[in-house]
Amino acid sequence: MSETKHTDTARRDFLSNSAKLAAGVTLAPGVMLYGVAHAATAGQGASDKVRWGMLVDTNKCAKGCDACVTGCEKENGWGQGSNDEQRSNSKQKAQWIRKVELRNTATGHVQSLPMMCQHCENPPCVDVCPTGASMKRADGIVLVDKHICIGCRYCMMACPYKARSFVHEELTDQRAHAPRGKGTVESCTFCVHKLDAGDGTTACAEACNTEGHKAIIVGDLKDPNSEIAQAVAEYATTQVRADLGLNTGMRYRGI
Amino acid sequence: MKRLSKLLSVLPALLALTLSAPAGAAGTEGGLGPNIPAPVKGEQCVEDTGEMRKNHMKYLKGHRNEALREGNRSGKYSLKECLECHVPPAETAQASRSEGEHFCKSCHQYAAVRVDCFECHATRPEKSAMFHPLVTPGMQTLKDVHQPDSAALLNNLAENQNNTGAIQ
Repeated sequence: MSETKHTDTARRDFLSNSAKLAAGVTLAPGVMLYGVAHAATAGQGASDKVRWGMLVDTNKCAKGCDACVTGCEKENGWGQGSNDEQRSNSKQKAQWIRKVELRNTATGHVQSLPMMCQHCENPPCVDVCPTGASMKRADGIVLVDKHICIGCRYCMMACPYKARSFVHEELTDQRAHAPRGKGTVESCTFCVHKLDAGDGTTACAEACNTEGHKAIIVGDLKDPNSEIAQAVAEYATTQVRADLGLNTGMRYRGI
Repeated sequence: MKRLSKLLSVLPALLALTLSAPAGAAGTEGGLGPNIPAPVKGEQCVEDTGEMRKNHMKYLKGHRNEALREGNRSGKYSLKECLECHVPPAETAQASRSEGEHFCKSCHQYAAVRVDCFECHATRPEKSAMFHPLVTPGMQTLKDVHQPDSAALLNNLAENQNNTGAIQ
């Protein structure tokens, strides 16, 4: 018995010494802990060092232009980007992003802006999901895990932005990077396949830039050197329904 | 009872026969086993053939959770990677919409397995996978050198080169 005790003590000593050693090693290049750049690169996975955000400048967003919508449709294979949902009416069809026009009734001033999933920090869709299919990644992107989505559509009811759609019919010829199918809920994915591949932008932003409007900036809100972080620091920007306290990743300028 | 035990003793052998039929040969011949099309490209799957036959679903499920929830899409076990090698892209002459000729579906139909992958996922790759990791430059070089298309010779060479990184 005493022998066992002796052995235990020795082991404890060894463990404690090695712990000290390990701590020393860790502390020596301590600057690394703070100096690691967390730029989004391919193959690293989602990290909470990053918060993906989008800034829409409504002054630059052209009325009647829907380049962002068609760009998204083409990239993710919904709407005009597919031949499916023939039997659904326009209210049933998928709508990952839509253009909204706001008219100030007092002045008659009309503003145009794209509306889609706002990628909330505290997403109501995730709160209400009974299966855990509605989820938020570490980098703030809100997604539907269609593998476990049962199509109950609670998230659609909970979303204040009307951002989610339900697929009512069987689909074919989906894009390889954007699986979608009957009986599941879907919404803007923040072009997560592009971000994970290191593109650093989304199809809607690319389409807007191609049109020459450059109304959408995509980037990491936590990186002080990113274009979006500098823009939100310099200009007054708004979250839609900020009163709900959801802290959206989408921000709008000029509304 | 005796007859049953005799039958049971034959069953494993029969199963082994069915499952060990080479994919390429089974694609052209009728008879026992599913009509599995030969792979479009690549000489070697991401794991041993036997391992993939038995456990491909486990690899796929692990990758799916990692890719969707963790954002780590670098794994080699994605469904997209399967299709890259096993299903011809849409624009090629090999492409066929017939369900029976789809690599995954043909076997699943045979085994009466109902999987929901293709209710959402694309059934074929969007473009040619010439740059698939399994078709590495080393592999291409080997192919060029030994033009007389001897598959056996090529496989032997590939096996010999395995440690030097010809096939990854």
